[in-house]
Amino acid sequence: MTQASRVKKLTDSVSHIEVSPPRLQWMGHSRQWGTRVKKGEHGLRLGDLNVGIYGEIPQHWEDQSRRPRGAADLPGMPPLPYHLRSKHQLWADSAADLYEEAIQHRWIPATDIPWSELSPLPDDVERAMCQVLTELMQAANAELESITYWQEQMSYGYHEVKQFLAVAALTCARHIDAFRKRCLANGGGLGLESRGRMNRAILESRGGWTEAVVYIYLLRGFHVQNQYRLLLAHAHNAAEREIFANCLADHSRHMSYALDHLKYAITQQASQAAIIQTLLSLGESTLARDIQEPVQRSALAIVFGGGVEGGRQEGMATWRAMVRQSIHDYLDACEWLGIKRNMIQRRLNALLPPDEQLVPTERG
Amino acid sequence: MPTFPSVDWFNAVRERYNTDQTLHSGGGGPCEAKAALCIGDSVYLLEFEGFECAEILEIDRDDIDQADFFLEMPMPEWIDMINNIRENGAADLDHTLSTIDLELEDGLPRAPGDDQYRRDLFYRYNQNFQDFFDASAGIATTIGRVD
Repeated sequence: MTQASRVKKLTDSVSHIEVSPPRLQWMGHSRQWGTRVKKGEHGLRLGDLNVGIYGEIPQHWEDQSRRPRGAADLPGMPPLPYHLRSKHQLWADSAADLYEEAIQHRWIPATDIPWSELSPLPDDVERAMCQVLTELMQAANAELESITYWQEQMSYGYHEVKQFLAVAALTCARHIDAFRKRCLANGGGLGLESRGRMNRAILESRGGWTEAVVYIYLLRGFHVQNQYRLLLAHAHNAAEREIFANCLADHSRHMSYALDHLKYAITQQASQAAIIQTLLSLGESTLARDIQEPVQRSALAIVFGGGVEGGRQEGMATWRAMVRQSIHDYLDACEWLGIKRNMIQRRLNALLPPDEQLVPTERG
Repeated sequence: MPTFPSVDWFNAVRERYNTDQTLHSGGGGPCEAKAALCIGDSVYLLEFEGFECAEILEIDRDDIDQADFFLEMPMPEWIDMINNIRENGAADLDHTLSTIDLELEDGLPRAPGDDQYRRDLFYRYNQNFQDFFDASAGIATTIGRVD
């Protein structure tokens, strides 16, 4: 029997069965139909879709399901542990644009970095560079783990932020990847594990995503940003230059989200500024102890000074200037956010030149 | 041959930057920012949109708040940077915007009203701005008066 005759025999055998026409009732379930968003000059971007009900971003999102914002709800869906359901806990107006920027600013460490441009460095410089990158890998890893911990708890009502942070986590993974490759591609290897007090503070922060943002970005972010700036300026070859230029742009994008979010949170929540002040008072001495850690400090000085010898004077002077700049950037950001720090923790204050020191608090 | 600095010179750079994709370094990505350059007595507003520099305008100093941030250096330092780019095909490590920024005590970018968020656009799009200036390497240039 051929295949065709087999099918005919089967069809004939069920021809007496009456099949009801499909009801397709689900087709009537849309909260807003007929939407036609047009692409703009720069394509059809995530933020462009916020039209009609799809652009209604509530202050609080009661729904604990995975229902996309604007979709019709299905009664009886069991709740999921989305604990961050208020806009002030995560929102930044720039999130949709930053998401678009992040997915377009893509670079592949395996192929976009001109690895063949690496050349042997003096042993002390290679060891110092690998040590610096080992610690930066740990910082990027703490950022990644903190983002993913909180991102999965964020309500689907704020998908712009969830999507931006998903890419931010990928970006952190990319940095870890690039640093590891740089360490293992030029005759060196990984260095010593960091004590990572700030990493621990970030990972153990459980008060909410805003608290994590305060630690990762407002408090430590400028120190990381300035390390990238200086490593870019002291790059030994085109490969390092490309790595640090990309990391600087990526990290600055994360900082943009963070500052925008903190500004929003402070504007929306009367007590938020005071809470951030408290968090900073707790965190500043931890950051200062990390900055003063002799391993990373000397490794950075050797890179900036071009060797152990140059690291003693020139390298340490550059390191001190970098730390000064980081603290000033941090204080400027606090002021911009409206949480001016009139007093800072003693350890952090001591890292500023004497004539620039603020009134230190007793603790720290 | 356009003179640096002038709208004509910046437009020549803009034309090259917008049309030669090889000038956009890996990961450059799109850029949405308005940067003002204070060069001598003149202020140039560079508007970046997506992957292009969309417009160059000469503006009054009083209108600088149209920009997200502005970069200001003495004329000889601008010329030194431009000459270095022309000689090397791209800025060497001593003449990148990033290095110049680090060498200035208060940094290179300033934002109108000290808006930190807008000032940080300089770091977010640093590669784009560097690529733009590096595009000037192929532009036949007459250097204007230094005074």
